[in-house]
Order: sequence, then C-alpha cells, then structure tokens
Amino acid sequence: MNKELNRVFFSPSRAVRHILPPHILRSIAEKGTSRQRARALQTMAMDNTFRAIRAGAQAKAPLPRKGVRALALEGQKQRTIFDAHNTQTLPGDVVRIEGSQPGSDLAVNEAYDGLGATYDLFWDIYERNSIDDEGMPLNATVHFGNEYNNAFWNGERMVFGDGDGELFNRFTISIDVIGHELAHGVTEDEAGLVYFFQPGALNESISDVFGSLVRQRVLNQTATQADWLIGAGLFTQNVHGVALRSMKAPGTAYDDPVIGKDPQPAHMKNFKYTFEDNGGVHINSGIPNHAFYLAATQIGGYAWQKAGHIWYETLRDSKLRPNFGFLRFARLTVANAARLYGAGQSEEQAVRDGWAKVGIKVT
Amino acid sequence: MRIEFKMEGGFAHFPGLSKPVRIDADQLSREESAQLEQLVQKARFFDLPGKVNVARKGAADYYQYTITIQMGKQSHTIKLVDPVEDTNLNELLLFLKKKSKETRSGRSGQR
Repeated sequence: MNKELNRVFFSPSRAVRHILPPHILRSIAEKGTSRQRARALQTMAMDNTFRAIRAGAQAKAPLPRKGVRALALEGQKQRTIFDAHNTQTLPGDVVRIEGSQPGSDLAVNEAYDGLGATYDLFWDIYERNSIDDEGMPLNATVHFGNEYNNAFWNGERMVFGDGDGELFNRFTISIDVIGHELAHGVTEDEAGLVYFFQPGALNESISDVFGSLVRQRVLNQTATQADWLIGAGLFTQNVHGVALRSMKAPGTAYDDPVIGKDPQPAHMKNFKYTFEDNGGVHINSGIPNHAFYLAATQIGGYAWQKAGHIWYETLRDSKLRPNFGFLRFARLTVANAARLYGAGQSEEQAVRDGWAKVGIKVT
Repeated sequence: MRIEFKMEGGFAHFPGLSKPVRIDADQLSREESAQLEQLVQKARFFDLPGKVNVARKGAADYYQYTITIQMGKQSHTIKLVDPVEDTNLNELLLFLKKKSKETRSGRSGQR
C-alpha cells in the first residue's frame, strides 16, 4: 500500500492529490509513513483553503443566510493548526487537522482545543456555523516569530507567538485569547466595525466579551463566579499583574515597572482621547467591557445565555453600522434585549443599567 | 547613526512597552554598531517607502512599528505592521526589539 500511496502523492501531476477522499487522507495522516503523513496533511490543508474560498464567495452572494449549503456543513468544525517554526512566514506547515489526536506540542493542542471551544459556543448557543455562519474552516498558526509577544487576527487566520518567556508566556495559554481572535472574524463578517476610535474599541470589546464567554462556558461559571479576566496566565512571574485586562474592574489588571499600568477606563468620564493604538481601541474597550459585565451580573446565571445572546443579536443586527460609537451600539443592545426578552422586562433594564453605570445613558 | 523606534498596538496596549526608544549607534559596542549598520544596509532602509505595508481589512491586534533613522544628512521614517514578510527588514526589526528590551530592563549594553 505504501508504494501505491507514494505514487499518488509524489507523482509529478499535482492534480492527482485531489482524487483522494478526505477519510482516506485522514487515515493516511494517522497511519502513513512520515513523508506520506506530511503530504496528506498538506493536501487536506489545501482542500480546506478551497473550501474557504468557496465559502467566501457564498458569503458575498445575495442569498439568504443558512441556506441548503450551510445545512450540509452544520456543526462540522474544520480546524487546521499550522506551525511557523518561529519565523514570520504564514501560514507555516500543517501540524494538526480536524479529528486528529493531540501530539506533544502544547501550543498546537491549546490552539486546537481553543478553536473548538469557540466554535462550540457560537454553534451550541447562538446557532452560528463558524466565523461566516457558512462553516468557514478555522485556521491558526502557532510558534509565529521569534520570542514573539503577541496574538493577532490577520483578516483570515489566527496567529500566536510563543512569548519571550521574560514578560509573556505563550499566547495560547489563555483560552479567552483564542476566542477573542476568532470573534474578530465574526465581527468583521457581521458588522465590519472600523478598527479605529470608538467603533474600534467596540470591535475590541466584542472580542473580549465572546473570548471571556468561551472561557466561562468551558469552566462552567456563572456571571458572579467568573473572574472576567482576559489573558490570565499570560504574564510570567516577573510581571506584577493578573491578566491583560479585567472586564470586572478595568484599569486594575496590572501595574508593573516595565510594562506600565493598565490604562483601561471603566467609565466615560475617563475616556482616553489618543491616536496611539488605533485611537485607543485596546484602552477605551474597557468601557463597553464593563457595561457588559454589569449587565450580565445583574441578569444573573450564565453570562453566555441571556447577556451573550443580546450582544450576539446586536452584532447581527442590520442596523449596526461600521462607524457606530458606544452610544449608538448601546441603544441597539437595549432594543435587542427588549426584542428578545420583552420590553420593560428585567433583561432590558439590566442592559440599560449596565450602560448607565459606565456613563452612557440610553433614553 | 540615530534611530527612533516605536511599537504600538498588539493584543493589549501596554504603556511601558509603547514608549519610543532611541538608539544611538555611537553609544553601542563596536560589534553592535557594525551589526546595526549592516542590518540597515541589507534592509535597504532608505529606499523603503514610508508605508511598507498595511493591515488587511478586518485584521486586528497586530503590532505597528514606526522606525526613523538619521544617518549623516539623511533621515527617513517608515511605518509597518505585522506580519513583516521582508526577511531583511525583519532582521533589523528583531535587532531593534532586542535593544528596546535591554533599554527597558536597564541592561542597555551601552558604554
């Protein structure tokens, strides 16, 4: 069988690769020789890319959402993890595909599991089929760059650095960071919130909200049990701080001689006007973050259920425009709370109160 | 040769890490000064456009860098974002990141 496989995989005609059905490729990826395994993984990754291109084209077509094609892929995760081997070259080599067993690389396994937990939150709770609601494959690259202190969304994939070990640990260590990056894809697909000033801070906040909800759901915590931290565990012991941000108490996550003090405001009176950081997108996001925390704790129970549902439906609301600031977004959350749970009910009140407490009055 | 290097953005905004760092080649050891000069030349820094690359639409949490180099009468500023595909420019960036880190932790390596 190995000889036969070698003929198929290493034949000069690249087209031949695509005749193998996915379940066979998967089996080779698990049981073949190392060279065959590598080629099978590559082929499957390429296949996922074409699927993504097709899904992208579908998303642009003026068809109703969740059509027949979407049903065919419902609930099917398509995760692929790549390794950049400490270079800045994307995407890197495929190291884990959907359904394959965990290996010895912690970052690979964390990325795989984190993408899974994020997909599951969106699918199980909000019935959203991946980033584009059309089953888009989830691609992540780990070991990006050299001692690289960051995680980012490049517009089509999640990218994670290993951290320098001096200030930061690996960026896959906290599952909410993974959820945060994937949520950027959802926000871009639904609302396209401009990554600057208030719309950018909302974009950031929405990622923190769903990132935190992924973590809370994995830990099975209610709104009052959760710590509402973003990036807990990312700092090494050298840093005075518990996390990168706190939705419960913005501005208190860290205070350190090297990295400085957490600059996030929790109230409009401390709103920061700046051109740094795309106009303070990671700074002023503290305000809508805290409003969500306040609304979720006032509603009670699991935050991903009612509060998360209200925020998710706001994100999908066709009235949400790319240039919306805090106030107009807040109005939409209140309107969606009333639409989903009844006008004048406690949910609507909790959302209204949450915004009021951060200095945003929805009349 | 004088360099001003600024990093901003990323997954979080850290005030201590986004302060501009100034590097004066005269203050570096002879080896480091020579290395820096070579990196600047290899990156063809003075031929690079002011905006080397821009973030893709919908991208988020990427680092942004501003590098100004003054050499003799020449002065040039470039802006770029991750990922940096130009490997020569990336080498220069890694050097500047290393020096910034040393400056922050007080191990400047300066004479």
